[in-house]
Parts: sequence; C-alpha cells; structure tokens
Amino acid sequence: MPGLRNIALAAGLALLGMDATASAAPVDDLLQQFRAQGASGFTVAAGEQLWERKVIDPKTGQARRCALCHTADLRKKGKHASTGKVIEPMAPSVNPERLSDKAKIKKWLARNCKWTLGRECTPQEKGDVLTMLRSR
Amino acid sequence: MAEDTHRVRVWDAPTRIFHWLLAACFAGDWLTRDARYLDVHEFFGYVIGALVAFRLVWGFAGTHWARFASFTFPASSAWRYLLALARARQAHYVGHNPAGSWSIYALLTLAALEVATGVVTLGAEKRLGVLAGGFGYRVGDIAHALHQWLAYAMLAVVAVHILGVLVGCLADRQNLIASMLTGYKRADSAIAAVEARRGVAVTLALALAFGALGYFRAYPMAAGAPRDRPPALPLDAVWKNECSDCHLDYHPSLLPARSWSRMFAEQKSHFGEDLGLSNETLRHLQAYAERNAAEALASPVAWKMATTVPAAAAPLRISATPYWEQRHASLDAATWERVHRSACGKCHRDAEAGRFAPGAIDINLGRSPVQKGG
Repeated sequence: MPGLRNIALAAGLALLGMDATASAAPVDDLLQQFRAQGASGFTVAAGEQLWERKVIDPKTGQARRCALCHTADLRKKGKHASTGKVIEPMAPSVNPERLSDKAKIKKWLARNCKWTLGRECTPQEKGDVLTMLRSR
Repeated sequence: MAEDTHRVRVWDAPTRIFHWLLAACFAGDWLTRDARYLDVHEFFGYVIGALVAFRLVWGFAGTHWARFASFTFPASSAWRYLLALARARQAHYVGHNPAGSWSIYALLTLAALEVATGVVTLGAEKRLGVLAGGFGYRVGDIAHALHQWLAYAMLAVVAVHILGVLVGCLADRQNLIASMLTGYKRADSAIAAVEARRGVAVTLALALAFGALGYFRAYPMAAGAPRDRPPALPLDAVWKNECSDCHLDYHPSLLPARSWSRMFAEQKSHFGEDLGLSNETLRHLQAYAERNAAEALASPVAWKMATTVPAAAAPLRISATPYWEQRHASLDAATWERVHRSACGKCHRDAEAGRFAPGAIDINLGRSPVQKGG
C-alpha cells in the first residue's frame, strides 16, 4: 500500500516540521503551553509588574525581586545576590542567547520564581514575564 | 708579612662572580620563600643549582686558589687554626684558610641539598617542575620540611662565614670583601698571580641572563606556563553548565566525596536555593563528583583537602575547610569586602582549572600576604 506509506511519511515529516518550528521559537511554544493550561492575554505591563514585585523572604528577611539580581535595566549585566557572579543581560536585543533554549527557560523560571516569590509562578505569570522579556 | 709583599690576583673572575651570584640567589630565595613568589623562588633555586655544578667543575679546572686541591684540609687543622687564631698566632694563608674552607664545603653541600629537596618538594607537593608528579605527596611533605630546616642551617653557616671573613679582615689586616670583588690580595712576593679567566666569567653571566630571559618570558606565570605540568583534572560539561551559572564551577577535587553526596542530597536547599535538578542530572553530577572528589588525589589541593577535612565532617563550603582557613588566615576583612569568598578566580588565576598553584596567585588582588611557606 504505497498510499498509506506516503501518508505515514507525510505525518512523520509534519511532526518533525512542527518540532523544528517549536525549537526555533521556544517562547511561542511555551506561551502555547501556558495557554493550554488556562492562561491567556499575556501583556508586557503585567510582566513588568511581576518583575518589580517585592517579596520579603520569611527566613532571611531579605526583600527579593527579579531586579535584585538582574537589575531594573534588562539590557545591563546583573549580579548574583549571594555569590556576586556576573549575570549576562536578560534582554534578547543585547544578548541573543536569551530565550533561545526552552529547557533553560523552564529551569530558570522554576528556580527563580521559588527563590524570589517563595513559590512557583502560575502559567499566567510565566507567560507575562516571557512576553515582557521578549519585548526588550 | 714584611716588606717583601705585593698585591697579587688570587681569585679568578669566575670564582668571584660565582661567589656573589650565589650570595645574591641565596638572599633572593630567602626573600621569596612565601608561596606567592614560588615561581621567582624556583628560578633562584635553578641558578643556585647551576652555580654549584659550575663550582664543582671549577674546583678542578679553575686557577690555583680556586681548586679544591689548594684548600683541602683535615678537620683537625681547621680546629688548630681556630685555636691559633684565638691567640692571634695563626698562620697566614693566601687562599682559603683551613676553617674557612670547611665553611665553603658546608655551604656547597647545603646549597646542593637545598636545590635537591626544593626540586623534590616542587615535583611531589606542587606537581610542578622537572620532577612533576614523580613522587607521592607524602614524600613532598618530608622534602618540604627538610628544605625548610636545611635553609635555616645554611643561613647559620652563612652567618658563621660572614663572621669569619670579618675576623679574617682584622687578623690579616686587609679587606677580604674587596678581595672577593677585585680578586687582589696582598701576599708574599713569591706568590704568583693567577689568570683572570674573564671569558669564563662573562659566559657564566650571559648564560644566566639568557636563562632569566627564557624563564621570565611568560611572566607572570599563570596555569599553563611552560614550567607547568598540570595534573589532569577532567572537566565535565554538565557540571560546568549546571554550576557556572551562579558561581565558579568548583572542581570536585576541592571537597571530599561525602561533602558532594550531602550537597546533592540537599539540593532543595542549596545555599538557600531550590536547584530543582532532575534525577538524571543529579545522578550524573554525583557520579562525576565521586570519581573526582578530593580522595582521588588529582592535585596538591585535593591531597590537602583529603587529609585535613575531619572524617566526621562533610563541609559544604570550601571556605569552611581547615585547609582553606589556614591558607587564608592572614587576609583581612577589607579583602573579603573586595572579594567574595566564593569567587576564587579573583585572586587565583587558575581557579577555573581547579589547580590553585601558588605561582598563579594574583599578588595585587590578594594585597596582604596569603600565608608563609609553601
């Protein structure tokens, strides 16, 4: 059955193709995932608000926010709050490596939301922050 | 000595240049005994080795008073000389007197032993130099201790030698220090002058100059300088990737395996952060750490960590280990305001390679002394 084989091949190629577009635009892919989890209407303004939100860490009494390490100006280099290690700029306009690796985005959203806010971020919050970051 | 004396060349030029270079290198080695100046200390040591080797040859090939044959005396005659000197009835010697000759043999022997123990210490303890890795760390500890004690012994003999020269100046009524500079002494007119042999002296000086040029060409010496034969410290890509985002990717050889096991078991509260590493990543990091932890003794620092962290302790901070504290004890609070304790690379130019060779410490950033000794 050559017809069936062609369909299977086409389906396979389509899957591969989808995968290729997904890795080419990791942020779009992630936003799609967040939407599938019920989030919607991501805005730069909401992302900015979250970026500046201050949370007092109950253990250390430290006032934490994203800008503490990454600075308020995303095109500038930041500094790790406890080790002092330099963090490259977050804005993709000056640091093209940013937002290019899906696994990295997921890892850092998970780790840094926990440290900064004391909890994981909701899909809505993650989508807003990514939307804001992409605009810089 | 009555009227029939004359000023006559006794010391040839190579003997004189040997004498003053040895004195300068000994002083140089004494001043650079701190581990931070190890590369310079090492250079002076090589020069001393070359000088002693030259002097052994010159003891047979040199001019009359430079030859061992002219100053080989039994110990008893050295003693008799000293007794006679005490009563101001000593015989006069054109070259070395019997007591002085013994201090010269002592200095030559000690200098040779210092070079030997130094090279063994360097190779065994620091894994540097011509004998890099040729001996175990334990041999290095012994050689290092010997090197230090022999240095004190040599300093004592140098003091005796200088005292002897000053006494000799008074006893002989002539400036022996100037003699060693000019080569001339006042002696019986029957004594013939020796040749200057300036060509050999110039060759010696040129060899030293070219040696210094070659050695210090790569100065300041960081890891990977030509003299280095660094131990192989394998770097793992996952390790580097996971660790270096927040801090230096500390080499696993800097802590014992039990510390790393605890580190990964406590990954949910890693210095206040939840790392959230996957089980697969954790297993990989754990396996790499276990293979290359301090106990693998891949570097001198690994050896120190493996042997000085108490068996009951599993420190998570490298800066909380006894060896780290000992090595950084003399740094003041101002230094730690300038440099974070976790940022080893601020002062150690080879921190990323995990080596921490003494010669690779940035003296300007450290500013105050790190620690005496090696």
